[in-house]
Amino acid sequence: MIKRQQLVLGNKSLKDVTDDICSLIERMPGQKFLAVFSAALVLFGFYLFVQGSIVAKGMGLMGINNPVGWGTDIVTFVFWVGIGHAGTLISAVLFLFRQKWRTSIARTAEAMTVFAVMTAGLFPLLHTGRPWLAYWLLPYPNQRGPLWVNFRSPLLWDVFAVSTYATVSIVFWYIGMVPDLASVRDRAKNKIRKLAYGALSLGWRGTAKQWNHFEMTYMLLAGLATPLVLSVHSIVSFDFAVANLPGWHTTIFPPYFVAGAIFSGFGMVVTLMVIFREVVPVFKDYITMDHMENMNKVIMTTGLLVGYAYGAEFFIAWYSGSPYEQFAFINRAFGPYWWSYWTMIICNVFIPQIFWFKSMRRNIKVMFVVSIFVNIGMWFERFVITVTSLHRDFIPSSWGMFEFTFYDYGAIFGSFGMFFTLFLLYTRVLPAISICEVKPVLNVGREESHDKAH
Amino acid sequence: MQTRKDTDTTLNQEKAGSPKYWQSLEQWRQDPEFLKMAEKEFVSSPLSSDEGKDGWARREFLKLMGASLALTSFGCIRRPAQKIVPYAKRPEEIVPGIANYYSSSFVDGDEIFGLIVKTREGRPIKVDGNPDFPLNKGGVSARAVSHILSLYDPDRLTSPKKNLLNKERTNRDTVSVTYEDLDKAVVEALKAGKAGVLSKPVTGPSGRALLNEFKNKFKTTNYYFNDHTQGVEEKAQQEAYGTAVTPRYEIAKADFILSLGADFLGAHQSSTAYTKQFSSRRSPGEDMNKLTVVESLLSLTGSNADERYTVAPGEELNFVMAVIYSLSQTGQARINSQVKDTATQFKAFYDQHKEAVDSVVADLVKAKGKSLVLTGGLNTQHEQALQLHLAVQYLNNVLGNDGKTVKYRNTRTGNWGEVDTLSQLAKDIESGKIETLIVNDVNFVYQLSSDHPLQSAVRGLKNVVYVGDRIDETGQVAHYVIPVDHPLETWNDHEPLDGLYLIQQPTIRPLYDSRSFEQSMIQWMTLDGATPRYAGDESLWFEYVQNYWKSNIIRGSFDNSWNEVLQNGYFDSSASARDNNLPSRNFNESALKGIKPVSSKESLVLYKTIGLRDGNLANVAWLQEFPDPVTKICWDNYLVVSPKYAESQKLKQGQMVEIKVAGKQVTVPVHVQPGVHEKAVGLAVGYGRSAAGKVADGVGVNAFKLAKFDGKEMISAGLDYELKATKQSIPLASVQDHHSMEGRQIVVEATLDQFMKKPSAGIHKHKVFSMWNKHKYPGHKWAMTIDLSKCTGCSACMISCQSENNIPVVGKKYILQGREMHWIRVDRYFTGEPENPGVVYQPIACMHCDNAPCETVCPVIATSHTDEGLNQMTYNRCVGTRYCANNCPYKVRRFNWFDYTEIRKPTEMALNPEVTVRARGVMEKCTFCFHKIRGAKEQAKQDGRTLVDGDVKTACQEACPADAIVFGDMNDPESKISKSLGNERTYGLIEEVNAQPNLKFLTKIRNTKKLKNDHAGNSGGHH
Repeated sequence: MIKRQQLVLGNKSLKDVTDDICSLIERMPGQKFLAVFSAALVLFGFYLFVQGSIVAKGMGLMGINNPVGWGTDIVTFVFWVGIGHAGTLISAVLFLFRQKWRTSIARTAEAMTVFAVMTAGLFPLLHTGRPWLAYWLLPYPNQRGPLWVNFRSPLLWDVFAVSTYATVSIVFWYIGMVPDLASVRDRAKNKIRKLAYGALSLGWRGTAKQWNHFEMTYMLLAGLATPLVLSVHSIVSFDFAVANLPGWHTTIFPPYFVAGAIFSGFGMVVTLMVIFREVVPVFKDYITMDHMENMNKVIMTTGLLVGYAYGAEFFIAWYSGSPYEQFAFINRAFGPYWWSYWTMIICNVFIPQIFWFKSMRRNIKVMFVVSIFVNIGMWFERFVITVTSLHRDFIPSSWGMFEFTFYDYGAIFGSFGMFFTLFLLYTRVLPAISICEVKPVLNVGREESHDKAH
Repeated sequence: MQTRKDTDTTLNQEKAGSPKYWQSLEQWRQDPEFLKMAEKEFVSSPLSSDEGKDGWARREFLKLMGASLALTSFGCIRRPAQKIVPYAKRPEEIVPGIANYYSSSFVDGDEIFGLIVKTREGRPIKVDGNPDFPLNKGGVSARAVSHILSLYDPDRLTSPKKNLLNKERTNRDTVSVTYEDLDKAVVEALKAGKAGVLSKPVTGPSGRALLNEFKNKFKTTNYYFNDHTQGVEEKAQQEAYGTAVTPRYEIAKADFILSLGADFLGAHQSSTAYTKQFSSRRSPGEDMNKLTVVESLLSLTGSNADERYTVAPGEELNFVMAVIYSLSQTGQARINSQVKDTATQFKAFYDQHKEAVDSVVADLVKAKGKSLVLTGGLNTQHEQALQLHLAVQYLNNVLGNDGKTVKYRNTRTGNWGEVDTLSQLAKDIESGKIETLIVNDVNFVYQLSSDHPLQSAVRGLKNVVYVGDRIDETGQVAHYVIPVDHPLETWNDHEPLDGLYLIQQPTIRPLYDSRSFEQSMIQWMTLDGATPRYAGDESLWFEYVQNYWKSNIIRGSFDNSWNEVLQNGYFDSSASARDNNLPSRNFNESALKGIKPVSSKESLVLYKTIGLRDGNLANVAWLQEFPDPVTKICWDNYLVVSPKYAESQKLKQGQMVEIKVAGKQVTVPVHVQPGVHEKAVGLAVGYGRSAAGKVADGVGVNAFKLAKFDGKEMISAGLDYELKATKQSIPLASVQDHHSMEGRQIVVEATLDQFMKKPSAGIHKHKVFSMWNKHKYPGHKWAMTIDLSKCTGCSACMISCQSENNIPVVGKKYILQGREMHWIRVDRYFTGEPENPGVVYQPIACMHCDNAPCETVCPVIATSHTDEGLNQMTYNRCVGTRYCANNCPYKVRRFNWFDYTEIRKPTEMALNPEVTVRARGVMEKCTFCFHKIRGAKEQAKQDGRTLVDGDVKTACQEACPADAIVFGDMNDPESKISKSLGNERTYGLIEEVNAQPNLKFLTKIRNTKKLKNDHAGNSGGHH
């Protein structure tokens, strides 16, 4: 029998694992961290200013117009929601499939999901003309009739899909963290820590009964979260697919969007993990090259999937016989926004092909660069879908161009400020690798029992 | 008792120093205890006396209370209460919420409109055409609709001013002056003699009578100025027939119209009335007329032509002469031998343009006596303009049109000025004949080129009194500026055609301390002891008008007739006389002697746009944001060049170029315009105002500056120029960036022949399938059709809609970003080759689709369908996701990107109270004038009847001078709309999307052999 690659390197003892993982929470952050964190915070502040100005003055500050009614906000929303997908996929789907290699990256991937969905969630809210009334999108009892929402509108489905996803992700993430939080509590040396983590760990004692309940809950939640991986981005894709706009009105969107979401999500996980490994070298023992390689394989596979979708779209446009559809796709590739289309193709289809080579899959520098390109490409994919379809539709007289303004750039880059502020806080406050899940995959005690059996 | 007694005794003991009046016995007694008390203001101290021992002192307590109250209420400042007061005494005619309509009129240069003015609570809010008035017959132009906004122009002058000018008139300090002082000064100047009056055309009989009296009283010399082309036509008539008239053209009676540069559907003369007549003959069939246009630039008229030929500027003359030559050769018309000789010079031109000329000749001959040849306008005002007019009139004469389509009786009357009025005035000033000049609303400083002698002459005058609505360019050189009443604020009358009288009723009291020119004249005459003949006891202009009508126009019982006139808005005593055919006059052929061919050369042509014309309404924001129908550009003027010229000179769209004409120079952006002759470049006048107000100042350049003064008149076409390209460029605000239909079935075109064979020619019907049963509309179901054969693209509907529906103006910056708000837009597409393309127009508003794609995607049901088939926006409910706009296949939805409700005072008075002013962040679009439907229904209910066809008219429909728009209830089989929908020419836009639009189009039929874009005509677009 082939011996499996070890999931955790460095012959860690159980205590080593706890020490390693908790060390990040228990020591004061260094200057480097502070510098990076304040940079993120400044960017976040800038983001608040940009969005604040838009709320105060009006959507007119952004580059959208008639005919391009949706622009940066929706593009970036779909981008962040997509990123969120990897987390649930790793933590829930791979959990159900008993993919043990997921344990060391699941927590952070899931945290990424939560923060990405939080970042994303703001966009549809703020892209409305009157964000202070956005709660009207919720079907709540009211005195206006009561006036109900339109259940036929994909935007409403979106509200449900994204809010459900956010809720389930947060619960799943938090429940999985409870035993670890208890460990942090138990190691706490001062009162406040003890109190805070004590409250967060919900009275976890580590009794067998609790473990039993915990594992059952975790599995059930994983089951609950799994369909969401498919549903959220399918529904986000309905925003486009249900419309009658050439370039949007297509049935391939749900699987295409899900594949794209996983693609970009893994891209982001790789980006973050590479940084994590560099900044906290001890994590290299937990997030091993095998993990990275696995993720790169997923990136390559989903990259091929989206590549197929791009091709299929063109085929169907031709096959449909609809001149509007045909024009929309020719316009994508050769119209005024050709650059965005080809950026997308190069970043998403061509660059990930480098992972056919094992040496490249296992090369940190290469995978870092590729993962960045993947994310750039995926942002442009949404840009291509949203803007280039809208800017030239049925009636040529109303064709127009979308141009970025300062506020568009502010919204795109500022949203990274929000994401990284949250993410950096997380690395210093919560255990970034699941202690309770890593310990069972250690080889502690396993090697002998294995030998004895033979 | 004891006490009383005591008191009594104390009362008697009067103490020295006790007060005379006292409040209490203690005071009277001067009790020391009391005196001590009295020194203190308060019985208990507001201050804490004992260092807080006795708890909170009142003042401290209040202080703390106040502070905590302020803290708790911090941030919730109450909005200031705005009290509204109902009419304490309601004016008899005004019922709050019910509109009153008054007939009135509007003079727009050559064009005179009969209007119906809608007022609400005493303020005019909308202008529509008077449907009975024989000229515009209910049609209005975009400018006429904008009349309302010029009333509320925030930059109007509010009180009389005096300019303190130095001798060189280089500095200017403006001070207020009272009418008393002003009148005294003016009368003194008038009494001194050597006075002149320069007035815009006085179009009314009362005004003319008063001006005559004024002239006799003060011995003034009167000058009239309308525009640069004035008098040429009359002069041609004078030379040809011996009488100077401006002929009346019967467009509706012409089977074939040949226009040589006359933009009679656009900015030339009374284009609205002409459009009305023209479109009445545009229904395809045996009766359809044919229009051929020969021009150098692409005008609105040219874009509506069935056949169009381009020539170099000035070559219009060659073309007419070539036609005459051809006629003389074939003998199809009697051409005098002398003329034949003259025409022979044009053989070379004829040979060169044989095909075009022959085709025109064939059409002219076919329609002898029923054809019409037209010319005129700024763009034909070249050095041989008079000869062009003569040749055109000759052609009309030999073709037997004179007296039939060219009427020389009951034409326009009055003082319209002559060719050289202004140069004559300049001469008179220089010779010292004029020392005082009263200017009535003629902005000649702006409209004349800088080398015109009047420019300097006026600066040497002793007294200049300017009567105008602002201190404009001419007002700046005047000593006194009198704010004039807006026409909607004052009485007047007009006589557009001999025997056709039009009344101008005020619809609001003057907003400011202004005075009409006529009232000023009466005032000055009375001050000098004269009594104007028709002025009543109060010396009012109103009395003058009324008395004039009493004695001269109305026969019989005055009061009833006068009220009738006011109700009708006009009085027509020459209707039948105008309709009769007249005998043809004898043409004096010797007038044609000396006509020489115009050499074909590259030259500059100035032209008027339909929106701004001569720029007098430039400060009306609606008109600045009014996209020119042909170029689709707003907020600028630009050098129009042909694609070929642009290529040879390496000019790009928006590139700034320096244009130099005889030492005068302007820098303008380039607009590459298909359909312009390669030797012509064009520049629109009306822009480049410097003292019109906040809206107009600095928009574009003043092209009048480039006109050439030839010693007598202004030449505005065929100007030699030098062009120097610069490296800069500016974006031009175009509301349409793409000009091809991309082979899609958007505007369906067919030739008349194709139509005669198959009425639905050109329409490619798509099969559409639906899984649903359609909704039932048991009551009314509203629908609209637009006949593209009739629509000329004039865009009056856009502005009418803007006025009716409170649509904001966004400005150039945001037009460039694609944020225009017009609910109805007029799309313009080119077909064929760019040298001389076919042009089609298509007005597009919300289609109120049965399967409205916008409705399904709105998450909050802010847009929904009524049981009468209307697609409605609920502004209150809208959160502004803009999903509906994305999903609209026609892109008719408009979003409030910013808060557009903040507008300059008093512009808000022009808002229509029946239509919500939309807040920031909500979507809006055409409502099919839902408020008008409601209004009509309520009216019908009150009258106890059912709604009948024609009760509801949308704003666009009402304005349309071409009668291209039909609106009504399609459930009524007898209604016009049902018939129009049943027309075989009717088709829906991109029907294959299956949105089931309720705004449908009727195909455009051209009376021509072959369309510019054969593909679209024959196959009906793509398959």
